[in-house]
Amino acid sequence: MSNRSIAGVPLSYIGNRLFTFFLTVLIAASVIWIIPRLSPVDPAEAMLGRMAAGAGFVENADQILVDLRARFGLDEPLWKQYVVYLKNLMVFDFGVSVANFPTPVSQMLAAALPWTLGLMIFSVLIAFVIGNAAGAFMAWQETPRIWKIAIPAAMVFTSIPPILSGLLLMWLFAAQLEWFPLTGSYGLFETPGLNWEFILSVIRHGTLPALSIVVVTFGFWALGMRGLMTTVQSEDYVQLAKAKGLRPRYILYRYMIRNAILPQVTAFALKVGLLVTGQILVERIFSYNGMGKLIYDAILNQDFAVIQGASYIVILMTAASVLIVDLIYPFIDPRIRHGGGQ
Amino acid sequence: MADATGMGGVVSDADEKAARRRAKRLKRFDSPWMNPKLLTGAGIIVGILLFGLLGRFLWDPELVFIGSAPLNLPPVGFENLRGEPGSPAHPLGTQSSGRDMLALMIVGAPNTLFIGVIASLIGMTIGILLGFSAGFIGGRTDDVIRVLSDVMITIPPLMVLIVFQTSIGEIGILMMGVLLSGFMWQSPTRLIRAQVLSMRQSGYVRMAKLSGASTFDIMFKEMLPNLVPYLFGSFIAIATTAIVTAVGLETLGLGPQRVPTLGRVIYEAIDSAALLRNMWWWWGIPTALLATMFVGLLLVNLGLDEVANPKLRKV
Amino acid sequence: MAPRTRRVAWGLAAIITLAGLIAIPYHDPESPGARIAREDTVIFDLDRSIKNPRNFNWLTPGVKRLHGAHQAMWEPLFVLSYATGELEPWLGLQIVGNDTHDVWTLSLRRGVRWSDGEAFDADDVVFTADMVRDSDAISAREAIRFKAQIAETRKIDSHTVEFRLQKPNPSFHVENFGVLNFSSFLVMPEHVWRGQDVGSFDFYPPIGTGPYVFGSATSQRAIWDRNDDWWGADTGFRDLPQPKRLIWIESGGQENRAQLLRRNQLDAGQHLALGIFEAIQAKNPNVIAWHSGFPYGWTDPCPRQLEINTTVPPWDDAEMRRAVAHIVDRQQIIDIVYEGSTVPSKSMFVQYGAMQPFIDAVSNAGYSLPTTANVDAAHAIFESRGYRLDDDGTYRRDGEPLAVRILANTASAETTGTVDLLVEQLQRAGVDARSVPVEDGVFWGEVIPLGDYEMSYSWLSCGSVNEPWASMSRYTNSAIAPVGERAPGYNNTGRWDTDATSQYTAIVDRIGRLSLGDPQIPGLVANAYQHLYTEMPFVPLVQASKVLSFNTTYWTGWPTADRFYVHPMHWWNSTHLIIHGLERADAGKSSHVK
Repeated sequence: MSNRSIAGVPLSYIGNRLFTFFLTVLIAASVIWIIPRLSPVDPAEAMLGRMAAGAGFVENADQILVDLRARFGLDEPLWKQYVVYLKNLMVFDFGVSVANFPTPVSQMLAAALPWTLGLMIFSVLIAFVIGNAAGAFMAWQETPRIWKIAIPAAMVFTSIPPILSGLLLMWLFAAQLEWFPLTGSYGLFETPGLNWEFILSVIRHGTLPALSIVVVTFGFWALGMRGLMTTVQSEDYVQLAKAKGLRPRYILYRYMIRNAILPQVTAFALKVGLLVTGQILVERIFSYNGMGKLIYDAILNQDFAVIQGASYIVILMTAASVLIVDLIYPFIDPRIRHGGGQ
Repeated sequence: MADATGMGGVVSDADEKAARRRAKRLKRFDSPWMNPKLLTGAGIIVGILLFGLLGRFLWDPELVFIGSAPLNLPPVGFENLRGEPGSPAHPLGTQSSGRDMLALMIVGAPNTLFIGVIASLIGMTIGILLGFSAGFIGGRTDDVIRVLSDVMITIPPLMVLIVFQTSIGEIGILMMGVLLSGFMWQSPTRLIRAQVLSMRQSGYVRMAKLSGASTFDIMFKEMLPNLVPYLFGSFIAIATTAIVTAVGLETLGLGPQRVPTLGRVIYEAIDSAALLRNMWWWWGIPTALLATMFVGLLLVNLGLDEVANPKLRKV
Repeated sequence: MAPRTRRVAWGLAAIITLAGLIAIPYHDPESPGARIAREDTVIFDLDRSIKNPRNFNWLTPGVKRLHGAHQAMWEPLFVLSYATGELEPWLGLQIVGNDTHDVWTLSLRRGVRWSDGEAFDADDVVFTADMVRDSDAISAREAIRFKAQIAETRKIDSHTVEFRLQKPNPSFHVENFGVLNFSSFLVMPEHVWRGQDVGSFDFYPPIGTGPYVFGSATSQRAIWDRNDDWWGADTGFRDLPQPKRLIWIESGGQENRAQLLRRNQLDAGQHLALGIFEAIQAKNPNVIAWHSGFPYGWTDPCPRQLEINTTVPPWDDAEMRRAVAHIVDRQQIIDIVYEGSTVPSKSMFVQYGAMQPFIDAVSNAGYSLPTTANVDAAHAIFESRGYRLDDDGTYRRDGEPLAVRILANTASAETTGTVDLLVEQLQRAGVDARSVPVEDGVFWGEVIPLGDYEMSYSWLSCGSVNEPWASMSRYTNSAIAPVGERAPGYNNTGRWDTDATSQYTAIVDRIGRLSLGDPQIPGLVANAYQHLYTEMPFVPLVQASKVLSFNTTYWTGWPTADRFYVHPMHWWNSTHLIIHGLERADAGKSSHVK
C-alpha cells in the first residue's frame, strides 16, 4: 500500500484513477483498431459478400462496393478513420453486423449485455458471500475442526477455469440427470416478460452457468480472507476485544471481517478481467444468450464488427469495474480518506 | 519447458540433499523449499511433462491424426452408445474423427504447458527489465512504466487475442505464447518495482552503491538473487494465467488448428456434442488433465509463497 | 444468528430479484394468441433466425419463405415427385410445352381462393410473371431463374396461361413450378401487389391460398393457424389438414434441437449428426428418421465434390487434377465424416431412382471413380511433372513445395470435417495442403462466384434429380466468367475452359434440346461425361446424408423410406404434402384400442 503514490489529497487520487481508466480504454480501443488494419481482408468486401449471399446475386457489385466504402469511411486516410472510430466508440456506434446485415452491432450488444451482467452479478455475489464466509470461518479459532479441513480441500478447485467446471456440471446435471436444461438462457416457448413461467425458466437456465462460476471462484475469496484473518487475529484490537470479554461471534463480525475484507476488494478489482472472460467462455458452452454466445457466433461468422464491439464492451466493463472499486475503496478504508497513506 | 524442469531442478539439486539430511535429524529445521505444497505441485507438473515427453516414445504420436483409429471407442472397460467395448489398442478411447485420446493427451499436454512457459518466460524477462528500471531509475521512467502496467493489467488478454485471431488468422503454438506474453509482464513489473523500491533503502544496496558498483551490477548481481522466490512465484502465476487464456482461446475454436492442444480437444468435443452423445472420455480426460495441471501450478505457487513469505508457514 | 440469517435471506432475495429484472430483455409485444392444445400443434425447426419478421416480400433477400410461408401459406403450382420424376398437380392442373420447348401452356385448378376470399386465377399468374420479368429489384433465386427465361406471359382465359420463352427449355415447367429444389415460382395476389414497389413492398400481413393463415412472427418463431375455410376442402381437392396450428421455431443449434426432440417439444427437426441422433433416439424412441435403422439419413439432392479452379497452376494441368482424384479416399470420408452412413458418388449425379439410367450410362462407360485411393498413381503423375519427394515428405519442384489451400465453408461441421480429412489425405500423399475456413456469406458471396480459390468443398453439380441436363449444364463453357468476375448462377466456377469443354458443351447442348425421357439421352450423357472424367474439373466425392428427425409423440404419418409419399425436407415448398399427411397420434392410438 505504502508503495503506491496515493498519499495526499483524495482529489489527486480520484484524478489518478480516472486518468488510468481513460488511458486503459483508449489504449485498448486503439489496439483493437490497429490489429485488423494489419490483415488483408477488406471489411467492405466481406459485407458485400454477405449481402450477395443473402440476395443470391448482386447487380453492379462494384458500385455497391464503392458506396459501402464511402459509408463506412474506408476511403478516408487512416488517421481520419481512427478519429471517426474513436468518436463513434464514445456513442457506442460499432457499425453494422455483417452476419445479421443490417442490424447495428450496438443493438446486438444491448440485447446480450443484460444477460451477461445479470449472470455475472448473480454468480459473483454468491461466490463473494460464500467465499468470504468460508474463509473467515476457516481462520476463526472457534470453527469446528472438520470445516478447517474440508474447506481447504475444496479450495484446490480455485485454480480451475470455470469452463472446465461448467463442462462437468453440464454433463452431470443436464446431460445425465436431466435436472437442468443443457443450453440456452430461457425456454424457447416462454414469452419474455414479467411472467412467472419466464422468470422460472430464466432461473432454471441460469443455475448451472452460475454454479460453474461460483464453484471455482468462491475459493479465491476464501483463501484471501483466511490469510487476512490470520494476520488480523494477532492484531492488538482483537486481543483487546477478547480481553474485554466480548462474545467471540461479535468479535468475528465487528472487528475481524470488517478489517480483513478491505484488501479483498482490491484483489477483486484485479480479478475482474479474468472473471469476465471466464464467464464469457461459460456462456459459450451453455449457449447462454449473453456476450459469450454473441462473440462465439461472431467468430464462427467472422463478423468482425461484432467481435470488435463486444471486445470493446468487455474491456470497458473490466476497466469500469476496476475504477468503481478504486473509487469506493477510500470510503471503506479510512486510511486513504484521511490522507494518511503511510 | 526448460524452465519448468529447471524449477524442479532447483528444488532437487540445490537444497534437496542437505535438506533431506537435516530433515531426518531435526525436523523443525527443514528447508522452506521442501514444503509439501511445493513438492506435490512440482511433482504433478513434472509428472505431466514426463507423461508427454516419455509418452512419445512409448505410444504412437501418429495416432493424433484424423482417421488413424476407429471412431467413438470408449476407454477400456467401458461401452459406448452403440455397445462397442473399449479396446486395449486405444486404452483411453477415441473420438469421432478417429483420433486416439491417449496420443492426443501425450501430444497435447506438453503443448499446452509450452504455451504457458513461453508466455511466462518472455513476460518475466520484460517484467524484470521494466520493474528494475522503474524501481531503480525512478522519475519519469517510473511514472510511465507504472501507469502502463496499471493500464495493461486491466485489459483482458482473451479479448485482444480474439480480435487478433479473427482478423489475422491461424497462429502456431510459439506465436500464441509470444502474443500472450504481451499481457504477462505487468504483474512481475509491479512486483519487482515494489520490491526494488523497498530494497533500495536496505543496507547492502547502499553499501554496493558506496563501493562504486554499477547500476547494472547492483540490479542483477545484488538485488536479483534476493528476489528469486518472488520471481518463481510470479513465473508460475503468469504461466497459469497464460494457460487459462490459451485454453479459453482454444475452446472458442481459435488458436493452433492442426497441432493438438488440450483446449482444442475440448473444443472439438463440445462442437461435436460429446456431452449429449455421452462420450465423457472425449471432454472428460482433457478436462481432468487440465484441472490436474492447474492444481499442480496452484500448489507450486502456494509453496513458493511460503518460501517467500515465512509468516505463512506457521499457519 | 436468527436476525442475521433473515438479513442474509433478504439480501439474497433482493439479489435474485435484481438479477432477474436485469436479465429480462425487451418485452415482446407479440403474444402467441389463443391457446391451442399441444396435441393440435406441429412444431417445426428453423435453422436460422427470421431477420425481418414483418416482411413477406419473398422476391427480396432474407428469411421470407422457410419459416412456414411457403410450407403452409403459399402453395406451389406442382410438386415434383423425387421417386417417380412426375409432377403432382396442386394449384396447377397441367403444363405442356410445344415441340420446340419454347412455348408452355399452363392450366390452373378451378375454385382456388386466396385466404381473403378473392379468387386465384390467370390474372395473378400473369401479374406475378410480368412483375418479376420487369423488375430489377428482385433477387430470390427462383425469381431470377424465371426472369432469365421468360419472354412473354399471356392470359388465354381465366384459368389458362401461356409462357413464351427467350429460348427453348425442355424442363421449364419442372425448374420453375415443380419445387425442384427448396422452392418454386410463387404466385402473388394481384389485388394486393398491384401498384406496389417490388423492391420495398413488405407484404405484411401476408395472404396466400394455403390451408394456414399467418398468425404472428418474431425473430425466433412464426405461428400459423388453420383456415377452416380453405378452398381445397370445399372443392374436394384434399381434406383440411389435421393440425390446427403450425409453429416454426429457431432451435439454435444441434444441442438445442436434440434437447427439444428429447422432450417432445419439437416435431420436425433439421439435420443432426448421426451420433447425436442415435443418442437422442436411445433416450426417446419416438424420434425417428428417414430409415428406421442405420444409416437413418435421407440422401441430400446435392452430392458433395471437390471443386478445383482450373486456371491456377499447377492445377491447370488435367493430369495433376487426376492425381488429386487418385489421392482422395472416398471410403474414408464416408467412414469418418458420415460415420458410415452414406455411399460414394458414382458420378456427378445424385443417386435417386430417376437418375439411375444416367448413372448407369456413366458407370458402364468406365467413368466412375474408384472408392478407395491409389496414391501410387498420383505419385507417378507428380514425378512425371518434375516433382520429387523431399525428406520432410512433401513433393517439391525447384525447391517449391507442391501446395494447395482448400476452402472450407464454416457453416457446417460436415464441411469442415471433410476438408480436414482431405487435407490429411493430401498431406500424407506428399501435398502440402491447408484448410482455410471461410464464413458462409463470404464463401457463397465472394470466393466461389469469383473463382478466388484453388480448391474448395461444396456441391456445385447440384441440380438434376430426374434428368441429367440441369447438373451437366453447369460445367459448359457458355457461362464462363474470368477469375475475379462473378460466375452466373455459380456455374463452372472452376473456369474449366479447354477444347474438351467445347466438345462437352456441344453434347450437353444437344441433350438440352431433347424432351425429358428421350432414349438418346443416356448415351449422350456418357459421351459428355468422358470429358469430365479425363479433365477432372471437379472430383465427385460422396452422396450427402441428412438425418432429419421427426417426433411421433403427437403426430404420425411423417414421410419415411417405408412411406415415401414426399421427400422429408420440411423447409421446402413441398412440405404442404407432409402437413396434409400428418395424423394426430392419439387418434391412431384409440383406434388401436378398439
